[in-house]
Amino acid sequence: MEEKEITVNIKKYNDKDGAFWKSYKLKADKYTQMTEVLRRIKSEQDPSLAYRASCHMAVCGSCSMKINGIPSLACRTIALQAVDEKNEINVESMDYYPGVRDLITDIDVFYDKMYKVMPRLIADESVLMGENEQRMTPENQTEVWKFQECIYCGLCVSACPSVKEDEQFLGPAAHAKGFRFIDDVRDTKKSERLDLLMDSAYRCTSCYMCYEVCPQDVQPVIAIKKTKNYLDQYKGNTPITIMARKHDDTVENLIETTGKIKESTLFLKTFGFGEAMRDAIDMLKSGKFKYAFEKDSNVKNMNEIKNMMGEKK
Amino acid sequence: MEKKEYDAVILGGGLAGLMAANIVAAAGFSVAVVSKVFPTRSHSAAAEGGIAAYMMGNSDPNDDPDFMSYDEVKGGDYLVDQDAAELLSKKSGEIVSLLDAWGAPFNRQPDGRIALRYFGGQTYPRTRFIADKTGMALLHTLFEHSTGFKNIEYYNEYYVLDIVKEGNNVNGLVAMEMKTLNPIYLKSRALLIASGGIGMMYKHTTNSYINTGDGQGIALRSGVALKDPEFVQFHPTGLYPSDILISEAARAEGAILKNNKGERFMAKYAPHKFDLAPRDIVSRSMTIEIREGRGFEGGYLGLDLRHLGKKYIIERLALAYDAAKNFSGVDASEEMIPVRPAQHYFMGGIDVDTTGTNHDLNGIFSAGESACVSVHGANRLGSNSLLETVVYGRETGNTMVEFLKTHKNVETNSNVEPIIDAAYAYIKRETGEHFGVLTEELRDIMWDNVGIFRDNDKLAEAVSKIKDLRVRARSMYVTDKTSNYNTELFNALETRNMLDVAYTMATAALNRKETRGAHFRDDFPERDDKNWMKHTITYLAGDEVKISYKPVTYTRWKPEVRVY
Repeated sequence: MEEKEITVNIKKYNDKDGAFWKSYKLKADKYTQMTEVLRRIKSEQDPSLAYRASCHMAVCGSCSMKINGIPSLACRTIALQAVDEKNEINVESMDYYPGVRDLITDIDVFYDKMYKVMPRLIADESVLMGENEQRMTPENQTEVWKFQECIYCGLCVSACPSVKEDEQFLGPAAHAKGFRFIDDVRDTKKSERLDLLMDSAYRCTSCYMCYEVCPQDVQPVIAIKKTKNYLDQYKGNTPITIMARKHDDTVENLIETTGKIKESTLFLKTFGFGEAMRDAIDMLKSGKFKYAFEKDSNVKNMNEIKNMMGEKK
Repeated sequence: MEKKEYDAVILGGGLAGLMAANIVAAAGFSVAVVSKVFPTRSHSAAAEGGIAAYMMGNSDPNDDPDFMSYDEVKGGDYLVDQDAAELLSKKSGEIVSLLDAWGAPFNRQPDGRIALRYFGGQTYPRTRFIADKTGMALLHTLFEHSTGFKNIEYYNEYYVLDIVKEGNNVNGLVAMEMKTLNPIYLKSRALLIASGGIGMMYKHTTNSYINTGDGQGIALRSGVALKDPEFVQFHPTGLYPSDILISEAARAEGAILKNNKGERFMAKYAPHKFDLAPRDIVSRSMTIEIREGRGFEGGYLGLDLRHLGKKYIIERLALAYDAAKNFSGVDASEEMIPVRPAQHYFMGGIDVDTTGTNHDLNGIFSAGESACVSVHGANRLGSNSLLETVVYGRETGNTMVEFLKTHKNVETNSNVEPIIDAAYAYIKRETGEHFGVLTEELRDIMWDNVGIFRDNDKLAEAVSKIKDLRVRARSMYVTDKTSNYNTELFNALETRNMLDVAYTMATAALNRKETRGAHFRDDFPERDDKNWMKHTITYLAGDEVKISYKPVTYTRWKPEVRVY
């Protein structure tokens, strides 16, 4: 098979020397995975190179790293597809997590977030005693499986901007995991789960970075959006969820009475007078205050809107 | 040095280890699970196709557990302990129900019951599955279930050096925190070895990089026997060239193996079961096809899924489709997937009975691929490895609970310094060979000489070469002198384990002068029930492998000719 020489630049790190880049040259063919590239560098050139790898088929989530700056699984990356025009490729450890050695990071913070969402099914006692059989529609199974496919690789959390800013945000992976159980007809702890997840769900900015980087296409941000759909069933009251309720109620009310979402009213009702005033001052400073009074007329055919909203209720 | 005491220590966080951990913890005992990886990285995650189970009221109306046991016995070429196989079949339905109760999202039938499909060697369809990532889903289920126990402590990314003995009793083990190289003595009266397989000693393997026979290696060094180590399974459909597993589920769903003439060659070798004959037979047939020039250039054959249609392929065989696309650049709905046999499973293992107990040491147990309960005999059927891990993981967990109730921890602390010194010696040494050289040589020897087709000359050469490698390994050295996640040291320790296990495997293979299941001898191509219907028991005594035998347990099935 045809082989090409490539240069792999790896950002190495150890406690004594700190971080430094080192380059390796080796031959790869069109099928060579980056995990195999790393294994051969370690075996043939630099035995001290440290990285994690296990299954090399994208089910174990060990080999998370940044390849050419993109959060990736090394095993899912084919070397010759990733090289630039000079046949070079850059490899470094994931963002956000503290570095330990070369490409290995400490992702305990990721695991801790997973543990926080009670990541286990609590079936009915009669099922656990073997007295009852659980059934589940194929459709329900498909949806549960979608969010269960997370492989704990940690890439989504490393790429998530909200996690870095907000310690109380559980992060994309834990939300996918938590929602997987909310969604499972066999589980008996839905209200406890909503208590664990609802406040955090509103700390997501819906930036879709997790959607982009997930190697399993789990779409954690969709799990977060779906969790928000359960707001009506959530019994708690945290500052953020109170605001979320006001937001939802105002949206509904505005559509019912005007047929559209009027941003300035929505803003005022959601955040309250005090917060709105603070923002108004910022808007004055930046010259955007005029937009708050833009003419915003109602839609014409209100009867049709009312009928639709009536049907929804 | 740090020391912690538990009732039970479990080596390995895969399916067998976690199932036992859940059982022992539920009985109120303290458990430490030690693994060189975070549990969900274990090789169990790589199991794709499914788990075989006879479920009352949810199986083929003609099926029953006896047919299932018979399939196992025949599939294993009569080297199966039939009581072990019967227990496996009998408990298969309830274990799947338990996994379902703990949250495993099995694929469903339209009425909500668990779905099933055919797998190789099955008389009736029995395989339960979660897409084609069954192992991963089950592993996550058991791991996640275990997070509900406060008395299970995880030592993730700790590498186990050796077992600690006091006289003939287990007194825990010594491990090293990989991040810091700090040793820790984990003292316990019960020790479960559930450390999985040995694939990395073969040049071509579907196994994870972490499968280096660590549990088998430390067991051998503690005077514990390996049973039937000459039996190694080669899976027919390793993806060319990366050796990633293309699940048997593909053939179960209708995929066909073809040679370079477009012929469905399995019709010739297995006229009844075709492509779904047991794996040893298919792998040998493929090797013959390639050897006789009917393979494609580079040495592979075609796995044809095209007639199944793209929608069906993506729905039922997502992983196979993705793997072919990502790792071989082939769209399986338009082209054949390039495949060749690769090492896949180790039938041999730590010698245990049907309770998971080993009788060489007091307090040592084993389950899963690291164990040999003799349910697979000379060849394992697809869907039975996941089943074994959970059924025997639970049986062994229950045995450990009974053991813990009647035994107290050994009072004395053993001297564990020599174990730690032996590990550090690789770092302290300034010259010698490094692990990569020895590992690559071993991988070639095992693939070429202890592979799909074997004979006296090849095996004798393997034994002598491995002997030599073991001598050279004593002066192995580690260039990296830091104590900062020094993976090179662990690679060296893995190499030591692989060499010890490989030595018993090659020796036992040379010793068994017959063909049975996956052990095919060109110079003895027939099964010889008169002389060889017995288990090989191997001990490692310094530089020698000592071989003895144990009888095979029969209940009801007499050996017959094995045709498919």
